[in-house]
Amino acid sequence: MSKITELLRTVTHWLSGHKRRAAILALVFVLTAPWPARAQFGLDPCCALLAAGLASVQSALSNVVGGGLSRILGIDKAMLQFQQTIVWPQALINQARSLVGLLQADLNQIQNLMKLPVNSATLPASQQLERVLLSRDPNQIAQTSGAYVGLYGPVPAPSAASPQVLNLVDITDAAAQAAMKRAIEIDALADLELQAANQLNQSIQNAAPGSAPIIEAQADAWLIRANAYTQSATADLMRLRSIDLANASADVKMGATNTTDLRQALANLLHHQ
Amino acid sequence: MQVITYVVFFSAFVWLAVTAKSRRKFMAVTLSGVMVVSVVGVAQPAHAQSGILSGIQAILSVIRGMIQTALTSINTVKTAVNNIQQAVAWPQQLIGQAKAQVIQMIGQYRTPMRIISHVRLNSATLPNPQAFEIVVRDHQVNNFSSLTTAFGKTYGLIPVATAASPTDRAMSDIDDAMTLDNLKALKASDQATDVELQSADSIENAAAQAAPGSAPFLTATATVSGIHSQALTQKMLAAELRQEAARLAHRNTLSKDNATNTNQLRGVLVNLLQHQ
Repeated sequence: MSKITELLRTVTHWLSGHKRRAAILALVFVLTAPWPARAQFGLDPCCALLAAGLASVQSALSNVVGGGLSRILGIDKAMLQFQQTIVWPQALINQARSLVGLLQADLNQIQNLMKLPVNSATLPASQQLERVLLSRDPNQIAQTSGAYVGLYGPVPAPSAASPQVLNLVDITDAAAQAAMKRAIEIDALADLELQAANQLNQSIQNAAPGSAPIIEAQADAWLIRANAYTQSATADLMRLRSIDLANASADVKMGATNTTDLRQALANLLHHQ
Repeated sequence: MQVITYVVFFSAFVWLAVTAKSRRKFMAVTLSGVMVVSVVGVAQPAHAQSGILSGIQAILSVIRGMIQTALTSINTVKTAVNNIQQAVAWPQQLIGQAKAQVIQMIGQYRTPMRIISHVRLNSATLPNPQAFEIVVRDHQVNNFSSLTTAFGKTYGLIPVATAASPTDRAMSDIDDAMTLDNLKALKASDQATDVELQSADSIENAAAQAAPGSAPFLTATATVSGIHSQALTQKMLAAELRQEAARLAHRNTLSKDNATNTNQLRGVLVNLLQHQ
């Protein structure tokens, strides 16, 4: 600190003793020092050009970019409002979801109605067959033939009827048993369809408008499948009725044959007498 | 950097000027110092202005060229998308028209169809058949015992063991059972059909107020109801199959009995002829 004070005292002393030299040094300093540019004051022609250029940029940004973005924003807002109020209104989407939930109760009610016990047989053999038929359990299909024969009896022994009658009896028993087995299968399939339908309905309740069509597509596939099973069941019913019609026709044919045979036997009898 | 260099040289110059002993030496130092520090402190040439102006021009050309073109294109595309959405995909007028059609069809069809399906079909004239007919068609599932009773009063009971052969009793029992099974199942399916019709009404009512974004929920749940409906139809077909099979089996049993009886009659006749 004392050194600085001493230096200052020396400089002051020197300056007071060499005023001309000090003035010359100061002049040299003023003339040669690298002073800062004057652009900030906006007096330079270059700075005026720069200001005009920046004003052009600002104008272009405001008009071209700002105006363009503003128009795009306007369209986006219009689209948003249109989609929110007309296409995807949240309130109506929630309302539809809640309706799906309410319909689930209807579906459950239908499913419960289909499970009501309807068995009515009173005798052991018919109870046994009825239990198998109403089981809705494909594992019990194998027991159908035993229960059927227990109730309706077996095909007569070969010596007990003509081959034609035996054939008719056998095919008719087969058709009846197949139809009964098919009825168990259809019941089981229908139960699985009901289960799948409930599962799909649960998914719809948790879906978004964009994912609901996917579930709908799957439900459509299930509907086609269900239609196919319905057609299959209808086909079995038609098959059974065809067998019934064929039996009626066979009765007529056998009646004609029997009548002819009887006439011949009576004629022979009269000849012998 | 230039300022630092200048300070170093200027300090050296001042030192030499201060320490100069004679006027001549001072002048020499001053002149040479002025030359040196002038070189060091002279302002650097300003290339910046022309660079900035060309830069501004470049920015302006980018803004007025590429950016303006891009924004105009985006604007055009968005306008087109907006128009497509409002005029082609989801035109409000057609949406309103579709909803109005739903409401109009509800008014046109629902009540007449309900009236037709509720026309009374009962036709029996005697007390027992009348009671039976009522319970068969009442769409209720909590009166199966009444159905069994009314059935018994109309069609009779299974003969007691001493009044008929075991085969006949078994046939009667399974035939009655199949009939009653199906009549009970039909009562249940009648009620299920009522529920299905309610569901259809609910979905149709909701469709009348739906938006394009909420309609997929309705169509999906309607399809699910369709699956249920098919399952119900299948169960009815299965019941009919059982019934038809039982009828066929019954007639086949009669054929078996006929064969046995014919065989026995033939034996009797042969014995009779031999005795003569």
